[in-house]
Amino acid sequence: MTHPMIQFDKVLKAYGALQVLKDLDFSVDNGEVVSIIGPSGSGKTTVLRVLMTLEGIQGGTMYVNGEPLNKMNVDGQLVDASKAHIRRIRSKIGMVFQSFNLFPHMTALDNCNESPIHTQGKSKAEATEESMRLLEMVGLAEKANHYPSQLSGGQQQRVAIARTLAMHPEILLFDEPTSALDPEMVGEVLEVIRDLAKSGDYTMLLVTHQMGFAREVSDRVCFFDGGKMVEQGKPDDLFGNPQHDRLKQFLSKVLEAG
Amino acid sequence: MDWRWDFTFDVVLPKMWQAAGVTIWATVASFAFALVGGLILMLLKTNRSAWISRPATELIEFIRATPLLVQIFFLFFLLPEIGLTLPPLTTGILAIGIYNSALCAEVYRAGFQAVPKGQWEACTALNMSTYRTFRDVIIPQSLPPIVPALGNYLVAIFKETPLLSFVAVAEIMQVSKLIGAEYYRFTEAITIAGIFFLVMSLIAAFGIRLVENYVKRSILH
Repeated sequence: MTHPMIQFDKVLKAYGALQVLKDLDFSVDNGEVVSIIGPSGSGKTTVLRVLMTLEGIQGGTMYVNGEPLNKMNVDGQLVDASKAHIRRIRSKIGMVFQSFNLFPHMTALDNCNESPIHTQGKSKAEATEESMRLLEMVGLAEKANHYPSQLSGGQQQRVAIARTLAMHPEILLFDEPTSALDPEMVGEVLEVIRDLAKSGDYTMLLVTHQMGFAREVSDRVCFFDGGKMVEQGKPDDLFGNPQHDRLKQFLSKVLEAG
Repeated sequence: MDWRWDFTFDVVLPKMWQAAGVTIWATVASFAFALVGGLILMLLKTNRSAWISRPATELIEFIRATPLLVQIFFLFFLLPEIGLTLPPLTTGILAIGIYNSALCAEVYRAGFQAVPKGQWEACTALNMSTYRTFRDVIIPQSLPPIVPALGNYLVAIFKETPLLSFVAVAEIMQVSKLIGAEYYRFTEAITIAGIFFLVMSLIAAFGIRLVENYVKRSILH
């Protein structure tokens, strides 16, 4: 039996009385590229944040490749996961943030090397070779010894992508990766993400406001509103023939704004 | 003013030379204690378990809300009661060290909190251990605000050491009082003590500036 790569089973996320995710059922297949769109406050970014374990959930279970993430199996019972269990499952997931979150006191190369050396136990030479290959791939090999403050926003985000890939994740999460960028730098980052999506090597979950891009690269697009997935479908269906009024409204507003 | 140079050189300086060493030792030892103690208190205070964080928070408040001199007397007279008789200097270092631990704990806490949330999140996303998160990411970035604040406490501790004269530690203030009492001449000894504190504070401030600049250069680019 094949498992979905990511599965949310009745996931509840709440801040006090405010429910951000309401018993969310949601799954992504291995190698699938899924975009999540929706108005702010719809819970779309929260999906990524709880999956990355940046925030806890109040109910339900998340599975990664069939294994529970926030729970673990002890004698056939699902109990709250230990730190070690979470770290083991989490190693399959990488995340690219809206605000890059590069380590400002490390060069681009050291940013990429940090996790491979210190959490995966690679030698410095081995890690550097891999990091240089990845920096080359995002077009920044010659900036390897630059610090984040010496790079443009677009370059920083590409380094952040290389840093994430250096951990060899199976799942890539992109949280509005171009929202903090100047317009002329959006293209260079989207190009890198497009290549990753096309490669088919990764299961990708992308939260974005770039509707054209979501339509182009995604196998499936999900529309979130009010902590629920309201509608999902193939990009052309969802954008070309939206069913729900909320989605129609949302799309007309977004497309109006350009 | 009646100032005698022969008295200054023959009597005051030889006696105060050694006392200056005691003052500096008391400062350095108390500061080292406070650096480590402050870190421990901060970790206890920010512990997730309320059973640990509450007592630590109360302890810090208690220490901060009580005068240092009272704490010095307290330890000096209380420790022997419970069968722990320490030399006055050791007791004094302990008292100043504990007092400043409570103050340094706040410095550390503020420093760690100044590191943007996104940095912690990046560490989680990169699956880094708690140890690596602190060692490689959080501590280096919190040093620039922490170092100057800790430097201020070093100077403050230095200026607190005369309180130890109340429990007869032969630091520089105590010795100058003794010289004055013995020869009925206070001018030279007290003046020298004042100059000593001024000069040492200036040197310390200069040293702290050097460390600050070094930290800024090597961490922020």
